[in-house]
Amino acid sequence: MKRFKSIVVAGFAILMTAAYLLPALTASAASSAALSITPKKNYTIEPGKSIKDTLVIRNLDKEVPLQLTLRVVDFTFNDDGGTPKLMLAEDAPQTTWSLKPFMTLPKSVTIEPDSSKTLDMKVEIPKGHGAGSYYSAIVYSSGSSEGGNVGLSASGVTLVFTQIPGKVNEDLTLEKFGAYSGSGNQASYKYIMTDMPQIMAYTLKNDGNVTESPVGSITLKSMFGKEYVIDDVNPNKSLALIGQSRTFASCIKLKEAEIDLNGKRSRSTECTKPDFWPGLYTANLDIFYGQNGNQTQEIVGTAHFWYLPWWFILLVTVVLLVIAYYVWRIVRRVKYGRPGPRTKAPRRR
Amino acid sequence: MLLVLLVIASPVSAMRFQERSLYMNSSEPGATTFYKVSFRYMSAQPVGSVDLLFCNDPIPYHPCVKPTGLDVSNAVLSEQTGEANFSVLSKTDNHIVLSRLPSMVTNNSSSYTFDNIVNPTDTSQAFSIRLRSHASTNATGVQIDFGSVRGQVTTGITIETQVPPMLIFCVAEEVSENCTGTNDNYYKDMGQLTSDSTLVTKSQMAVGTNASGGFAITANGFPMSAGTSVIDSPTVPTESKPGQNQFGINLVANSAPAIGNDPEGTWANAVPAEDYSIPNHYKYVPGDVIAYSPNVSLMKKFTVSYIVNAREDLKAGVYNTTINYIASGRF
Repeated sequence: MKRFKSIVVAGFAILMTAAYLLPALTASAASSAALSITPKKNYTIEPGKSIKDTLVIRNLDKEVPLQLTLRVVDFTFNDDGGTPKLMLAEDAPQTTWSLKPFMTLPKSVTIEPDSSKTLDMKVEIPKGHGAGSYYSAIVYSSGSSEGGNVGLSASGVTLVFTQIPGKVNEDLTLEKFGAYSGSGNQASYKYIMTDMPQIMAYTLKNDGNVTESPVGSITLKSMFGKEYVIDDVNPNKSLALIGQSRTFASCIKLKEAEIDLNGKRSRSTECTKPDFWPGLYTANLDIFYGQNGNQTQEIVGTAHFWYLPWWFILLVTVVLLVIAYYVWRIVRRVKYGRPGPRTKAPRRR
Repeated sequence: MLLVLLVIASPVSAMRFQERSLYMNSSEPGATTFYKVSFRYMSAQPVGSVDLLFCNDPIPYHPCVKPTGLDVSNAVLSEQTGEANFSVLSKTDNHIVLSRLPSMVTNNSSSYTFDNIVNPTDTSQAFSIRLRSHASTNATGVQIDFGSVRGQVTTGITIETQVPPMLIFCVAEEVSENCTGTNDNYYKDMGQLTSDSTLVTKSQMAVGTNASGGFAITANGFPMSAGTSVIDSPTVPTESKPGQNQFGINLVANSAPAIGNDPEGTWANAVPAEDYSIPNHYKYVPGDVIAYSPNVSLMKKFTVSYIVNAREDLKAGVYNTTINYIASGRF
């Protein structure tokens, strides 16, 4: 009996210890949340055909496996920028441009620490499907943590764009064009700039049924005749999504640099100050768009802006004051036959 | 005066071809295929030649850079509709001149099909055909109509083939700037909520991409709750107010309360979103973009600070939330 009692006590102790430790173990054994993925995929698929591709995912964590669940969701635009607004709700209605029904990919994957896995994916467009742009997003979610007040999880997203060739409805309208400054949602078009203008931008409304990526140029002319040409008005190959008013920004003068991201060489660009003189500038926009086999459309626009740095405003103010002073003196001399009060009258001999 | 004369003599006085289009039978890079160029003549004048110049840039008065890989030197005019009776007068790698006996334009809408054209190989940019019509038979002299058509080669698989674009992202209580190390802790206990103090904690994330469009990170998940009792989050950046229900985050160093760090890393493109970068001001709206880069950005580390305040009458319970940080490329 004594032995039985001690076995029960020992068993209870083990159970309690396990119960105490288990949540901590569960939490610490959670998935890694360090991953590398492909951010964007672009396809052109004819109706009745399919494409097989691969998704390469890397677990960057050196100790913990990466457990991911994969989901396809639709997305749209947030604003006039390029950030996707993911429709994550389970009951989110399917968009008219959804690629979801045509995509096949695994539902989950586990990747060992510090290694990669290649997943097969397929996009199949049914026969007779209408032409246009279709897009959705693949969301890779790491497992959520258990315990604590604030749990963390990480997800990566691959945006998938597919063009179905054929006759499409293309309709871009120029909404705004001009000098641009600021970043994020504080960026705006400017007519008078006190800082050296570095960016020109244009906003296009897309009322067609395809995503559009315009090409073309902007020619800037100063009031003294000096010309500056931006020969690539869409350097990032950005897209105007269906229904979006998209702002495309381009540097007036570019600085390029080679960079290395985890062993992959790439090219980065940033805006630098052009050698502008103060004054009035006129900008002419000439852009083209159009899908294969459809009409090439052209949009032209003209904008003006002033570059008036503070030092120039100060200088002009001082010059104007000096001119005003001398005009005033001349007026007084003509009117009263004598100079202004600060000028001494000539002595009589 | 010379400049003024040049401007007056430039293509502005000519008319643009309308209903211009290019159909490429195959858009595979480097493929040999046929192109059908269509347009409508606008000027009722005799036309003796049409000039087709293949360039990266569609603007007629800009220097012409030949699209990489394109070759039209073996092009054959296999079909023509509308204004017809043209033959190929000359051709080079990126230039074709069509010629005929000058005659008045009567069929405005016309198309010309060229066989044996080798597609460009650069999938990263579009190319153009600059079109001009002339009264002369050799595409010299004053132009009558002008305009450009646009084309682009795309592979069946992916447009971006030169450097595989990738997006690197990690989240944990502590992460290294290049995401190769984290402390593998994905939850935080914040302690006991009271009405006279602010509970704080922080987590970190690092991100980088070589994709030209940059990245965006959104914070997703409900504010802190216990059952049906929810601690509201400010929808605009707000100071921490002990004694009021408040759950908020930001991505910069704060002094009230003292928590957080400014972003670490030399890459200037990647920044916290405006509403989440005001020191001592906190906000949380599920789905908000909290950090982004408009273009290529090497690794950058962000520290997320969390604050929680509670009113005295807050319903008792264990309040928790899971924030799912989603990193995506931009389009």
